[in-house]
Amino acid sequence: MVATVLRLRYRILGNTLARRPWQLVGFCFGILWALWVLGAAIAGLIALSLTQGLDLARTVAIIGGSLLLLGWVIGPLLIAGLETTVDAGRLAPFPLSGPQVMRALVATGITGIPGIVTALVSLATVVLWLRWPAAAVVAVPAIAIAVLTCVVATQLMSSLAMGLGGNRRGREVVGTVVLALVILAGPLLTGVFALIDQAADLGVRIAQVVDILAWTPLGAPWAVPGDAAAGAWLTALARLAIAAATLVVLWLLWQRSLDASVTSPPQRASRAVRPGALGLFGRMPTGGVGATWARSLTAWLRDPRYLRQLLVIPLFPVVFAFAGGVDGWLFSASAVMCALVLSIAGYADVSYDGTAFASVLSTGIRGRDDRLGRLCAAACIGIPLTLLVGVVTAGIAGAWGTLPAVLGVALGLLLAGYGVTAVSSALLVVPVARPGDSPFKTVPGQTFLNGLVVFVVWGACLVLATPAIVLAVLSLVSNRETLGWISLLVAVVVGVGAIVAGVIVGGRTIERTGPDLLVRIKAFPT
Amino acid sequence: MSEPTDSAALQITGLVKQFGEKIAVAGIDLAVPQGSFFGLVGPNGAGKTTTLSMATGLLRPDAGAAWVHGVDVWQRPVEAKRIIGNLADGVRLFDRLTGEQLITYTAMMFGLPRPEIAPRVADLLELMDLREAAGTIVADYSAGMTKKVALACALVHAPRLLVLDEPFESVDPVSAANIEDVLRSYTRSGGTVIVSSHSMDLVQRMCDHVAIIAAGRVLAAGSVDDVRGAQTLQDRFVELVGGRHTSEGPQWLRQS
Repeated sequence: MVATVLRLRYRILGNTLARRPWQLVGFCFGILWALWVLGAAIAGLIALSLTQGLDLARTVAIIGGSLLLLGWVIGPLLIAGLETTVDAGRLAPFPLSGPQVMRALVATGITGIPGIVTALVSLATVVLWLRWPAAAVVAVPAIAIAVLTCVVATQLMSSLAMGLGGNRRGREVVGTVVLALVILAGPLLTGVFALIDQAADLGVRIAQVVDILAWTPLGAPWAVPGDAAAGAWLTALARLAIAAATLVVLWLLWQRSLDASVTSPPQRASRAVRPGALGLFGRMPTGGVGATWARSLTAWLRDPRYLRQLLVIPLFPVVFAFAGGVDGWLFSASAVMCALVLSIAGYADVSYDGTAFASVLSTGIRGRDDRLGRLCAAACIGIPLTLLVGVVTAGIAGAWGTLPAVLGVALGLLLAGYGVTAVSSALLVVPVARPGDSPFKTVPGQTFLNGLVVFVVWGACLVLATPAIVLAVLSLVSNRETLGWISLLVAVVVGVGAIVAGVIVGGRTIERTGPDLLVRIKAFPT
Repeated sequence: MSEPTDSAALQITGLVKQFGEKIAVAGIDLAVPQGSFFGLVGPNGAGKTTTLSMATGLLRPDAGAAWVHGVDVWQRPVEAKRIIGNLADGVRLFDRLTGEQLITYTAMMFGLPRPEIAPRVADLLELMDLREAAGTIVADYSAGMTKKVALACALVHAPRLLVLDEPFESVDPVSAANIEDVLRSYTRSGGTVIVSSHSMDLVQRMCDHVAIIAAGRVLAAGSVDDVRGAQTLQDRFVELVGGRHTSEGPQWLRQS
């Protein structure tokens, strides 16, 4: 049974890679990276076991192990590719019991690249305990529990994130919670770093952290061999119990969430506005520009996939304030970083339409109307946000003198970005999460090439913003505020020029490429 | 290649489309007379959706041309699309909008004057029995309701030609009958409807013209009575397309 599911998984992987060469390239890079991590980790562990004592081995095992589990829990939600080729929903029609499905999913989890690397690195930690044979023997079951915990925890997270009763509202709630956590994670981390910086004795702090972690589900399995080596058998037993209990609890939780997501009928959300509530569609002027503007701005305000791109904006000032203080030049330049991010936000805007782009195409609106509508929507969000960040940071730092120069650079980049992306988004589409899916869901088909395009777009923005940047730098160096104002003026003039050119060129382009974009969107794996 | 005639609402000549190795449409010619109710039928994978996509400017043909009321769809797409109401199959709608917002949005895309939009949207919601669901977002609609709202979007700008790909799939019988009435009176007033469907009964009942296509070619086309002769359309279809099995199915499937 499990073997059949595993074969299916590798068959799907093989078929996907055979059809998409660029993904194969990415896959090969993934394997190289995994081998490198594996080699480095094992070499480090061997060196550690030969040269250092029990205390350091313990510290490394517990902190490393805790980070590993944390990575397995958070990683799939944020960046790394969680295997979705085989999931509980797709196995549901087959006559398999719940535990059978779960065993199959655990097996696929362990046999993926991250699973294999984790298992090998974890097993390699046995070398840390070779000097204490009893500890090395105990380490093996503890490590097995730890690895299984990683895989089960990931599956639980993904079943929570995607399933939640198959309910659209549920998925959106989870998406929003994750968004909030990510927003909070930045300040929290910087706070933790600040604390560590202030600690008089780093060693003592770390020892404390290790002692606490060893009693939590995160570090407990990794503390067991260390305790055994030190002869504290009772403690070892207690921690082994904690680790085993964690695994059992996670397994039961996963079972419940799977039952819920597979068997409970998708509930129809009752979210409804009263008839006649048209939102932006009641206010924008009729015609292609107004309609696109209203639709696109609604997406910017509501769609988690767009909101995700706005997440980092409040983070910049906060992180820079921690990094260099509010007097630092980085803090005052927050607006520039925001503009840099916002300038490429729409570089493949049509992708977010998905196949609904067909309804844009079948109305036959002029390309420039479409471009202008999308651009107006992005500008309604981007320009006020950039100005706000600029003014607020200047106010906090009391650096009103440099504000014009900072805004010159920021608006120079942002407006140039709108012009450039009006053309780039008429030329390319990339696979993105579908509307209603978690904005953090990993989508298959992202390629190495798409990543490069982002830098090309950024390069074009930088070139267009160069006059404003040069003037702003001159103003800051020579401390002349007038030059800053001139930079701002130049930024706006050049930016508006870029936008006009972008709308015209992009408009002509999309009239030609529209049907081809639709074909490419339809061909994306779902 | 024949030139467009004024009497044809849709004229297709020599359309060809190839996806990789597979030839989806292998040279299709069709003339859809103005005011006709035209059925396009064929087995799965016959090329119906591909043909309609190429005729409405959504999919670029490898060869051939399509004219809508004498306007070349691929030479003057903006002009052509203004006179087409298109219900495409297998694509999403902007389903984060409410039903009412979606129809309003489509009306705005066609540049209808603001005062005309609200009454038209209200009429369409009434016609499609969607009044109660007007404020619900389209993602939460059932399959049939989604079809109906898509149909409303295709109608909102009062096109001269309606191209409907599988319009009645999962639509309940009452709504389907209401919609059928409206489409009939639309064709009587000079509008043209093309529907693709798997339901032979529906096509025989509703359409006055029909084309049977299979494997990317037209097997028969003309008025429904000419095409079917003395047979039912279903029998004629099976006779033309072939592939009907008469066996009782494999032994292992039988229960006793």
